[in-house]
Amino acid sequence: MQWITDIEAGKQLCLHCRKLHPLSVHRCDRCGSEVHQRIPHSIAITWSLAIAAIIFLIPANLLPMMVVKSIAGEDAGTIMDGVIYFLEHGEAGIGIVIFAASIFVPFFKLTVLLYLLLNIHLNRSHRAKFGLKLYRIIHFIGKWSMLDIFVVALMVGLVQFKNLATIVTGPAAIAFMLAVVMTMFATEHFDPRLLFDTELKKRKHKNESNEGNTHV
Amino acid sequence: MIVKETACKECGVIVNIPKKINFSQYRCPRCNALLYRRGQPFSYIITMAVTALLLFVPLTFLPILDLDIMGLQSSSTLFEALWMVYKDGFYFIAFVAMMTGLLIPVIMLILLLFILVPLKHGYRPEKVSLYYRLYEKMSDWGMAEVYLISIIVSMVKLHGMGTLHIGLGFYMFIFFFITFYITTVWFNPDDIWLDDAVDN
Ligand SMILES: [Zn+2]
Ligand SMILES: [Zn+2]
Repeated sequence: MQWITDIEAGKQLCLHCRKLHPLSVHRCDRCGSEVHQRIPHSIAITWSLAIAAIIFLIPANLLPMMVVKSIAGEDAGTIMDGVIYFLEHGEAGIGIVIFAASIFVPFFKLTVLLYLLLNIHLNRSHRAKFGLKLYRIIHFIGKWSMLDIFVVALMVGLVQFKNLATIVTGPAAIAFMLAVVMTMFATEHFDPRLLFDTELKKRKHKNESNEGNTHV
Repeated sequence: MIVKETACKECGVIVNIPKKINFSQYRCPRCNALLYRRGQPFSYIITMAVTALLLFVPLTFLPILDLDIMGLQSSSTLFEALWMVYKDGFYFIAFVAMMTGLLIPVIMLILLLFILVPLKHGYRPEKVSLYYRLYEKMSDWGMAEVYLISIIVSMVKLHGMGTLHIGLGFYMFIFFFITFYITTVWFNPDDIWLDDAVDN
């Protein structure tokens, strides 16, 4: 079936309240948001935020996430140390939850974002629906990478026994949080409709070359 | 049949949704994105939002966990935990965690009441579009459920260190999240615009 998109119909959708406007409108008369046919500079912004997030993930994984100070001395642990600790102490469930939230989710999100961007650059229109499915997944699971940050915050708040034991936030926490926030902004700025626009681009291209043939 | 023309926010296709919809949701025929979900009457949503806000009040002083190590006691509310992170100098982490885990859901509920209470009483607040825009922008950043699960993970982590008691604040937080979640699911933004409004 042939679908008519907003580009062909010469319309644009307000993403905030979903009112359909003609192209001449710049500000939605219903909710006051700016209206654009596609999110402006979507691809460039997504690229830059994704790359920044990848860079921040490096210190996030190498530096200690939290430091336990006790009579026995200081014990600084990275994210992976935390996962291993749980696996070794028979709490495999929690270990897997932390691994999924802090290591798998951020890497998966960024991989998917790069894959989607490549699909747009390479005009792979047949991958649009699959890409949208992936996009929905990363949109849904994105916030869960914040889990470990909250855990660190709670532990720091709870374990404050002056001489016996205290827990302090480690430097990785800030890098990790920056990576998570940037990935979330990147996902927000990515416009999934661009995946489907590739088909339009192809169709136009085909029509043009057909016309060229008949004239010859 | 009156038809409302709109476009799919995820694939860009033009769709026509029948205005007098007698089904509870409408999906994009091309990509299956959820384009319309019937909302509940404003009075239901207001009641649920007020309940959620009332459940939030005790969270400011009820401890979520009590920890007992060798006779030394420590207990902490959700806010105190983040306050310690702030005091350690990690302002950014404390701020983002405080906003996403606790304050954004609360602000969303308040904005919803600002929109719905006047509408329910028959007049349109002047700033309804501003309130709605803020509400909509925040909806992706509310992470109360993540905070909730993180409490459970912390409990398991702290389990070995000493005796642990779950505080009343934890149960309150669960109920707060459930009522918050129901409120947002019941609210259908289409109902607040004049040209789409259904009778409430
Ligand atoms: Zn609008
Ligand atoms: Zn669609």
